[in-house]
Amino acid sequence: MNEVSKVYSNGSVALADVTVEIDKGDFIFVVGPSGAGKSTFIKLILREELPSSGQLVVNGRNVVDMADKEVPYLRRGLGIIFQDYRLLPNKTVYDNVAFAMQVIEAPRREMLKRVNNVLELVGLRDKARTYPTELSGGEQQRVAIARAIVNKPAIVIADEPTGNLDPETSWGIVKVFDTINKAGTTIVMATHDKTVVDVMKKRVIAIEKGRIVRDELKGVYGYED
Amino acid sequence: MSIASVSTVALSLLILGIFLVMVLNLNHMVSTLETQVQISVYMEDGLTDRDMREIGTRITKLSGVTEVMFIDKKQAMDKFKERLGEQQGLLTALGETNPLPNSFEVKVDKPELVKPVAQAVSQFSGVETAKYGQEVIEQLFSLTKMIRILGLILIVFLALAALFIIANTIRITVFARRKEIGIMKYVGATDWFIRLPFMIEGMILGFGGALCAVLILRQTYSEITEKVYESLAFLPLIPKDPFLTQISIVLLVVGTAIGALGSTISLRRFMKV
Repeated sequence: MNEVSKVYSNGSVALADVTVEIDKGDFIFVVGPSGAGKSTFIKLILREELPSSGQLVVNGRNVVDMADKEVPYLRRGLGIIFQDYRLLPNKTVYDNVAFAMQVIEAPRREMLKRVNNVLELVGLRDKARTYPTELSGGEQQRVAIARAIVNKPAIVIADEPTGNLDPETSWGIVKVFDTINKAGTTIVMATHDKTVVDVMKKRVIAIEKGRIVRDELKGVYGYED
Repeated sequence: MSIASVSTVALSLLILGIFLVMVLNLNHMVSTLETQVQISVYMEDGLTDRDMREIGTRITKLSGVTEVMFIDKKQAMDKFKERLGEQQGLLTALGETNPLPNSFEVKVDKPELVKPVAQAVSQFSGVETAKYGQEVIEQLFSLTKMIRILGLILIVFLALAALFIIANTIRITVFARRKEIGIMKYVGATDWFIRLPFMIEGMILGFGGALCAVLILRQTYSEITEKVYESLAFLPLIPKDPFLTQISIVLLVVGTAIGALGSTISLRRFMKV
């Protein structure tokens, strides 16, 4: 990401001249007050929004010059997790995860194996046949993580994944991210969770008013809640 | 996709079909009438055969004239009797006198030539009048033009209405599945992968509606043409074969295309992620 700016059409500046390099295999926390530009940062990586100026390369692809029809292929290399899980309530846990593979037209046999593997990884193998509404918040978020990683993305992007969860459950989620990260996947996690950031001692990027104000390798949250 | 939405689409396509059939029939009637227009040239009484033959030759030589047929007093009377049908008894009142004149029936190759030819012929000596129904033919021309333009406008509007109905119906399904569409976009489904099921649904909806409309239209048109042939034989309706097949194909294709287009329109808003 090189001198990227994003100005919304209503004139508000969400990001100004942000330059940052995230290496493969990094685990990064993006912190900052609400409205500082964390969400825009993530939307730019997903190419949900285009930068107003600057260059942005994600996973070896130039996001700025990319044609619209290439966007799906960019996103296949990214796993996305939201604060509100975004699971399909009328599908079982297994089908929710398998859905991500169906829509990219993965072979059926591979699907069965992969889905069971990732459910094992997030510790929900025995809940495969249940529906999301029967699960706790933490379990639902694990399903979302399983869905995000089932296609073996190079980067997992999580937008406040623990925002709706109690501290203990949050830890469970962060541990899952740590496991995924140790297997070589880059993790970018926007968060407000002070304890998690402070204990994990990973790279921390702090954004305020659209600018990066801090970028530390073994950083702390640095804000008083 | 419910019975309600199929029948709404069917209804709008049926109305479209009815107008299409009506416009095409009116157009057909008018063009039939146009080609049937002929000039009746009535001769003065007391001309010799030679005089009349000479007039006939002069008419033939006029440009645009394709056919000249001589009808003598007796033939004219026979024709008249035929037209009266069961009422021909009325003519007995005339006794032996025949008030009908000798005449020529003149056909021209283009409807526009009727007027100049008739005017030229009426100047010939021995010709009493040349009639062709001036007002009728002129009104016919403006009528044809109007029917064609109005029909086209109406059909475009009805097609838009059908498109709107289908787009709205699909929008309900799209809205119910907007979360799914959002997730599909995030996990990297291509636009076509997302669009296809909705397009197929729209096409089935359009095709199903068109099929209902076609069935009703075929049945109705067959019955109407039958009735008309029985009682109003002079009305030149388009024969149902192969007309109905053509109309059916048009409606089915238009219905399916409108379905595909309608669902694409409804999806557009939800695809922007």
